[in-house]
Amino acid sequence: MASKHTIATRHAQGIRARFASRFLRSLLRLRRSSNRFGGSQSNDEGIGKRIRTDRIKIAAYAAMARAVGPRRTWSRALLFKLRNRARIHGVSRKRCLVSEKKRITRNKVVATSSEPSRADTLRKLVPGGDSMDTCVLLEETAHYIKCLATQVTVMQSIADRLLL
Amino acid sequence: MPINSNGNGNSAAKPRDLPDETDNTNVGFHNNFDESVILASKLRQHQISGGGGSAAAAAKMMLHPQFLMASARGGLPQNDVIDGSSFKGGDGSIQELFNGFGAGSMNGTGQASSQSMQHFNHPQGGAMPAQNFGAQLKPRQRVRARRGQATDPHSIAERLRRERIAERMKALQELVPNANKTDKASMLDEIIDYVKFLQLQVKVLSMSRLGGGAAAVAPLVADMSSEAGGDCIQAGAKGGSLARPSNGSQTARTNDSSLTVTEHQVAKLMEEDMGSAMQYLQGKGLCLMPISLATAISTATCHSRSPAINNNHHPLLQPNGEGPTSPSMSVLTVQSATMGNVGVDGGAAKDAASVSKP
Repeated sequence: MASKHTIATRHAQGIRARFASRFLRSLLRLRRSSNRFGGSQSNDEGIGKRIRTDRIKIAAYAAMARAVGPRRTWSRALLFKLRNRARIHGVSRKRCLVSEKKRITRNKVVATSSEPSRADTLRKLVPGGDSMDTCVLLEETAHYIKCLATQVTVMQSIADRLLL
Repeated sequence: MPINSNGNGNSAAKPRDLPDETDNTNVGFHNNFDESVILASKLRQHQISGGGGSAAAAAKMMLHPQFLMASARGGLPQNDVIDGSSFKGGDGSIQELFNGFGAGSMNGTGQASSQSMQHFNHPQGGAMPAQNFGAQLKPRQRVRARRGQATDPHSIAERLRRERIAERMKALQELVPNANKTDKASMLDEIIDYVKFLQLQVKVLSMSRLGGGAAAVAPLVADMSSEAGGDCIQAGAKGGSLARPSNGSQTARTNDSSLTVTEHQVAKLMEEDMGSAMQYLQGKGLCLMPISLATAISTATCHSRSPAINNNHHPLLQPNGEGPTSPSMSVLTVQSATMGNVGVDGGAAKDAASVSKP
């Protein structure tokens, strides 16, 4: 089903529709799984709101990364991070990320002793930003901002429809 | 000096013989100068988006004889980094430069350069006598390149990089709101803040979708009333405050006192600046909503007695219990005179503002 879905929605509908369909599907999956565990009681005691929140957030980012595909550096980095997280899930993720992810350490990336410059702050914000130079970083940031904005609008409209 | 007017911009072939080392008198140096000027002019054209037609080319050409004159007069008042040694490399290096340019994205400059060549023929006559003045120049003088006319390959690469960054920044400027900053540094700050803000919004929105849960309904309620045209500000509810299980009565009491303090603070802030009041509220995870909406909600829920609601128990639940979400909020009305009494329904609303806590 996954492959059919990808092929069908490759470029036809644009990123907004792709993200929306994936996100809704993962939301349904989450709800089904939580219902199975917690029965009909409120989820608060079962899983804990914070964890549930995080799961939804992660589902949103995963849906967005998959909708974008491996075309962009940041989406690739996000998918990689998510796969690691799913695999390890509790054991120190930091170690694994550092070892497996290909880090292109350049002189400008590693802050010697000065305070983190603006480019470094941006690198921390954008997924996969450590291995990009400034020029590529700006380009990736532009695409990332665009995708984040669509993500927010889609989530907002879903929330509106669900709750009201 | 025969100038090769080829139509092809790539052909940097200068069939003139560059003087050898031995011949490197001042005249020889000025051969280099001419080439450098031609080179610089070509680079200039590249910069100005492919030449922009013959007018620009002609204008740029006009500069160069002036440049020569001025340099002749003042012994190079302008700074040009033309390392003498770099030109002793001969045609090869210059050709490489041009090939590099040709391979780049500058496609439409073939014609422009040919035009530039032809135009250069005219001022060439004027430039000729200038060379005699320049005979006083020392052969090994290092001069700093004029802005935009450096011919060092490193500086050209640097310039390309800078231009690329500049166009990316311009593209980003359109995406980010409030992008009227001209400074690159402040623009980057804006971008960083905007990315953080978007990520925070995703977090908040993911909290509000705990179907049946009571979290963060206030932002959505605020949103709804904003459509109704209320004076509404949406605040991001912090995750920590929601996940904290609150002990009912204790929290109620502490919340009550802290809420009144908050109210007064907010009232004070609102008098001076709405923006700072909003930020203060946001910092506390509260939001602002019109009193009409607040009263509507509190009357609808009908149990508007207890102030702060435990997240687990919902005294504000609707009687039938199947309401969309049970907003467990305590509604405080900020009024100028009265103290914030909880769950005031239909109280005299002087100000059109109420502070509700999710």
